[in-house]
Amino acid sequence: MTTVQANAVNIPSSKKGIPGKPPNYKRLSDDDLFRHSSQYRFWSFTPEQLEQRRIEVNAQAVQSIEQDLRNFIDARSTELNEEEIKTIENRAVPVNMEEELKLVNLYAKKVQTIAQRLNLPTEIVATSITFFRRFYLENSVMKIEPKAIVLTTIFLACKSENYFIGIDSFCEKTRGDKEQVLKYEFPLLESLKFSLLSHHPYRPLHGFFLDIQAVLHGKVDLSYMGHIYDRCKKRITDALLTDAVYFYSPPQITLAVLMLEDEALTTRYLELKFHGNDTNQGNAEDEASRGNGNVTIQLDKLMKIVTNCSKLIEKPTTVPVEEAKSIAARLYFCQNPDDLLKKMKKRKADEQDSSVPVKKPKTE
Amino acid sequence: MTSSSQFKQLEKLGNGTYATVYKGLNKTTGVYVALKEVKLDSEEGTPSTAIREISLMKELKHENIVRLYDVIHTENKLTLVFEYMDNDLKKYMDSRTVGNNPQGLELSLVKYFHWQLLEGVSFCHESKILHRDLKPQNLLINNKGQLKLGDFGLARAFGIPVNTFSSEVVTLWYRAPDVLMGSRTYSTSIDMWSCGCILAEMITGKPLFPGTNDEEQLKLIFEIMGTPNESTWSGVSSLPKYNPNFSQKLPRDLRTILQPHTKEPLDDNLINLLHGLLQLNPDMRLSAKQALHHPWFAEYYQHP
Repeated sequence: MTTVQANAVNIPSSKKGIPGKPPNYKRLSDDDLFRHSSQYRFWSFTPEQLEQRRIEVNAQAVQSIEQDLRNFIDARSTELNEEEIKTIENRAVPVNMEEELKLVNLYAKKVQTIAQRLNLPTEIVATSITFFRRFYLENSVMKIEPKAIVLTTIFLACKSENYFIGIDSFCEKTRGDKEQVLKYEFPLLESLKFSLLSHHPYRPLHGFFLDIQAVLHGKVDLSYMGHIYDRCKKRITDALLTDAVYFYSPPQITLAVLMLEDEALTTRYLELKFHGNDTNQGNAEDEASRGNGNVTIQLDKLMKIVTNCSKLIEKPTTVPVEEAKSIAARLYFCQNPDDLLKKMKKRKADEQDSSVPVKKPKTE
Repeated sequence: MTSSSQFKQLEKLGNGTYATVYKGLNKTTGVYVALKEVKLDSEEGTPSTAIREISLMKELKHENIVRLYDVIHTENKLTLVFEYMDNDLKKYMDSRTVGNNPQGLELSLVKYFHWQLLEGVSFCHESKILHRDLKPQNLLINNKGQLKLGDFGLARAFGIPVNTFSSEVVTLWYRAPDVLMGSRTYSTSIDMWSCGCILAEMITGKPLFPGTNDEEQLKLIFEIMGTPNESTWSGVSSLPKYNPNFSQKLPRDLRTILQPHTKEPLDDNLINLLHGLLQLNPDMRLSAKQALHHPWFAEYYQHP
């Protein structure tokens, strides 16, 4: 039984042990907050780290697929002829890291399309895409095929964003298979390391829009601002399909998107924000926050980051359908060499059929 | 990934909002943990309350917030492995009752606990997370006098806009008047009201506003804090459940109400802090950060 040691609470008698804090200890800045977030801790990388990760995930899967194929051939060494073995060796080739990425990109786009067709709020569409892409930083498409996980990511994103849709109605709307959707929920949670709270660039976008209107007060047309706001939102969703999300913070991505949308406006805003004129009211506050001994951001450095980020965002991630199909086919044959052999036999049979004169109908 | 065999399940600690909590022992490290077991309802997969709690707890690493160490999945249940705490504030206060008379805590302990409560709440709010269910049962304490926020089963992240919350949150006694009157635009102030109620309860050992239904809850609040009107709280009359026929009460002196229940004299700073937290108008209520800077805590921040 528990002994409730209720009376054993020690009050630190002197101030010893009491966490001392200076009277004006700093408020966390939004950037501090982001650096504390699980998104930053688990899902931010340098380009080298990211590539290394993908190489490892791929290499592990390749190794195990090759082993499986060897086992398959060994187990049937007596029944398989040389041609069949050759077919397996030539056609059931594991996909490489770049090819994996192409498939992931293709299906990430599908996640977006399906989530949007469900009329989910922008943030949830974004979270779905994010979950899906992160899953394949931990798993290879050769181990769990992308098709299988698409609906689960959307289903989980809804749950974690407090936008609950019951499984029955979800599956009805997406024509999904209930068991399949639920089957992958935990593997997905695990691969995501239970880090589910996503910081997307939409909130910084809102902030920047308010601030641009304040800093450039009277110099920007409000209806124009409203117009580009919607376009920026779309661009952000597209940016979530790129690797920019792993290298840059949400506000950096937002600035990159703004820059792509209206370079002149964004540059003017940033210049005023950083240098301003001395009568600018907001400036005193800026000076104070910069003088805080914190990070001193320099405009030219920021511009460099933002420019690099926009280059990455602009790069298309789309994959030609034919190419994706051929990768997917190889992937399938790796996992199902039996089907590859069947297909080969069938093709052969078809070829023989067509060489036989058509007149003579088969009697059997 | 930890396996469930690593933990030895010990006695039941209680029922959370959607799960059962057991004490557990990590057999490898010899460290006690709290195991929160969530039954997996095969119908809908992992309960969304569990998903939300996990999602928020992953972001909240702070000495005054109970830590989520791990999540373990077994065939039909999900186990959240939390930092173990010896007790909760409710049980602790109950254990100090003499006969039928609840006893308040020593003011130095009240101050230490409340400081830690505010530190934890402040961190949540800066992380854009509302707890929404602060009450003594959810404040976990240990033998070192540490206090940590637990049970984030009802918590949620907030952003812009914040107008679609349900009013079915926060145990009645600690529920803010604006929420009771049907406001759906509440934010961090909802937690601050609860902090004020908890502070008063620690002083006297008794809940400040122990209502049994929404109506009585508001009545109890108004009897002490006064009935609000447009001049004391602009906008109050447009709240959905505002009733122009609320019985009109004048605010009473908090010291007169609380002092008889404690042996130690209540100083002006403490009364002033209580007033700051128990502002009827949510816009006037102190924020957690402001409360931490209140003169009542001066001795803490003079510490180097």
